Formats: sequence, structure tokens, C-alpha cells
Amino acid sequence: MRNQSMTLIFLLVGALAFSSLALAQGPGGGIMAANPANAKRTFDPHDLSGIWTRNGSPGGYGGGSTCRDCGDRGFGNDVPPFTPLGQKMFDANKPSYGRNLGSAEANAHPEEHIGRRRAVPPANGTDPYQTCNPMGVTRALIYPDPMEMNVLPDKIFQQFEWGYGTRTIWTDGRKLPDDPDQPRWWGYSVGKWDGNTFVIDSNGFDERTWIDHFGYPHSDQMHLQERYRRVAYDVIELSMTITDPKVYTRPWVSQIKKFRLLPKDAIKTIDGWAGVMEDVCAPADEVDQFNKRVRDPAGGVVHK
Amino acid sequence: MSGMPLREYIMKHKLTTYFLFSAGLLLLCTVLFAHHGTGVSYDNAKAFVATATVTEFRYANPHPQLYFDVKDDKGNVEHWSGELAPNPAQLIQAGWGKKRSEAALTPGTEVMVTIAPARAGGPVGLIQKIVNSKGEQVLGTIALGPPPAEGKQ
Repeated sequence: MRNQSMTLIFLLVGALAFSSLALAQGPGGGIMAANPANAKRTFDPHDLSGIWTRNGSPGGYGGGSTCRDCGDRGFGNDVPPFTPLGQKMFDANKPSYGRNLGSAEANAHPEEHIGRRRAVPPANGTDPYQTCNPMGVTRALIYPDPMEMNVLPDKIFQQFEWGYGTRTIWTDGRKLPDDPDQPRWWGYSVGKWDGNTFVIDSNGFDERTWIDHFGYPHSDQMHLQERYRRVAYDVIELSMTITDPKVYTRPWVSQIKKFRLLPKDAIKTIDGWAGVMEDVCAPADEVDQFNKRVRDPAGGVVHK
Repeated sequence: MSGMPLREYIMKHKLTTYFLFSAGLLLLCTVLFAHHGTGVSYDNAKAFVATATVTEFRYANPHPQLYFDVKDDKGNVEHWSGELAPNPAQLIQAGWGKKRSEAALTPGTEVMVTIAPARAGGPVGLIQKIVNSKGEQVLGTIALGPPPAEGKQ
């Protein structure tokens, strides 16, 4: 009997340890944005430089989930009504994130916008990310991997770990182009300080990117405003507002997203080489062979 | 099982117990991960353990892949394709860099793999765990991370 009890306890502890690991990877799991050890550290609210992450793992990088108080992986639940064109674009986007389309779980949460309840296997989806195309600004900012801000006198570079994508935010006083000839994956961006809030206005986005991984669309007429506030030594808060009358009948304000500051040497290769990872999804034929040999067959699409 | 200590029962029925325990954990995993689209292509509730002979391993984004042969009781060989949930950046955090990982999974290596098969059927699945001939887990402690429908993990 004692043996049985010990074994049962062992199994129970194992299950609990496992569930802890799983929870740490789940939505809103992992560590908090602010580290109490940094509570008394002074900071310059106008200094946004450094490696920032929304990742909830102690390492702060490598996919997974967001930190516990950093907001989820969607832009926001308060989705504005679509225009007829917006509805058409939304319906055409078939994401692989959120609750599975038609599942009992999806049907049990009618309070959530349908965008979060329509996941299909990637083989049957249309997510540009599944073929490693650029995520675009909003989705990259929401993604739980690090983003380094390199601040120069006339611009800020935002370097995203996933895709190793770089975005330029000009601070030299220039105005946004009224109607850019060439839409960009990362748009056109200008930034300035409004008190202790750094405000970035952007336009000229390539409409093939998605706002977040739930497949919310935008047009090439989208205007994005980001408002960053450094609220602690190791925390930045971000609020975003999308104005895109071709797709949404009113502006869409995001959930507040938090980033935590990583020490400069937090991210290291096996050899100890510190800095944001070159987390590139390339070459294209490597991605293609993965999709054809694994991801597509897993969704029932078999290539001969 | 009546009158038999559980430990002895487990020893006598090690494989069955392992399967049942794994199934329970994987069910828990499914519940926890379902919120963010995990398991959209794979069925964690049907995960099973198999002895596999590695034919190819690719340490790459968006997901590392393991290709392997599984032999049944009659000697029939089935070729499987599998992806791992953690991508190289996550594996590095667990100490599994490219060279170490590739050395552990060279073609011809025999390993025990836990596979969540595709909902669509066919010999393709999500690799949840790899154990080598010494009983050591290969590719770290985070192999049970979010399944790949979550994206690039």
C-alpha cells in the first residue's frame, strides 16, 4: 500500500511539473514584464534603446507565449465592424491561430470575435507567415520575440528577431508621404516625442500583411499610430491605433502591450555570442520543402 | 492488479502504464494549448511512442524536422515525417545547438519518439519527445512546448 501511495505521489508530482511547464508556455503565462529587482533603478523616460521583449520565458526569446501581464498575441478584442470590402478581406484570410474552426471550444466562446475562433491547419490556410513572408509592423510588435531599438540622432531602427527584419522610424522632422508610390512591408514611419510619449505615425503599408496572427486585414490606406511610454526601468507600454476606412468603420485601438527590457547579454548563441538572434526563416527552398514534406501532409494536402 | 503493489504492476506492465500516463499528460497538454490554435493539424490525444530509425534531421526554421522509419511487429517499415515545436532559437536556450543536435540524430540512429499524428491521417506528426538508446531525452527540455500551429516556435 505504501508503495502504491509513493508511486501515485510520484506520478502526481510529475503531472503537476508538466502542467506547470505547459502553463508557462500558455497565453499570458510565464514571468511578469517588470523585474522587482529593477524597481528602484532610475531611467530616462526618453531613452527607448535596448533589447525589448514580450516573451514570457526567462530567456526572453524564441517564440512561445507572452509574459503574464504583456497582453496576448492579438491586436485587440474590440474589433470594429468591417466595411463590405473589409468583410471580404477578412473572410479571405484563413489563419491557423486561435480556437479551431467549428470546434466545441470555439462554439463555447461566442463572446470572442470570430477572428479568434476560426483556425484551420496551415495547409488549408492563407497565412503569409507560413511561407515566412514579413509579418509587418503590428504583427511583429505583437509577436513574442525580442525587438531591439537602436536610437540614432535622426532615426530609430527597430530590429525584430523573427525574420531579422529592420524597420526605420525617422525622427529628422520629415513628413509622411501623402500617397506613397510603393507600399512597403514595413511601411513609412516618422516619430516624435509628445511629453514622455514617443509617437510614431506610419502609412504606406503593403496590404498583404496581417494586423495580427488572427488574420485581421488592412488596406494600403491604413494609418497606424503607435504610442510608447517607458513606465519603468525595464518596461515599455505600447498602445496602437489603426485608422483604415477602407476596411474598418471606425478606428481600432489595440490592447495595451508591454515589453520588458533584456540585459544586453541575455540572448546568446551556444558559443556565447550575445545579441539579437539572426532568426531567419530561409532559404525559400528550405521552407518550401518543410511545407511540402510535413506541414501540408499534416493538413491532408499531399504533394506527389 | 488486485493484491499486486502498484510499483510491481508498473514494472510488469511498463509499456501499457507509460502509454496511459502519457495519454493523460497529453490530454492535459491539449486542453492547455487549445486556446491558441495548438494541435490544429495534430491530434495530441492520439500520441503514441514508437521505436524509430532516423533517416534525416533538419535543424532549420520555421521548425526542425525529423524523418524516420518505424518497423512494425511483422517487419514492415513505414516512413514518417515529423516536425518539432521548438525552433532553433528555443533549442539553443536549452543547450541544443546545431552541431549537438545533428550529432544526436545522425541517419541510422535508433531513438524512441513520441508522436502526435496528423488529424488528416498519414505518416506525419508532431514530435513531442525523443529519447536515445541511453534513455536520455534528446533536444532538450522544451520539446513539449506549444505545437506548431502557434507558428514559428
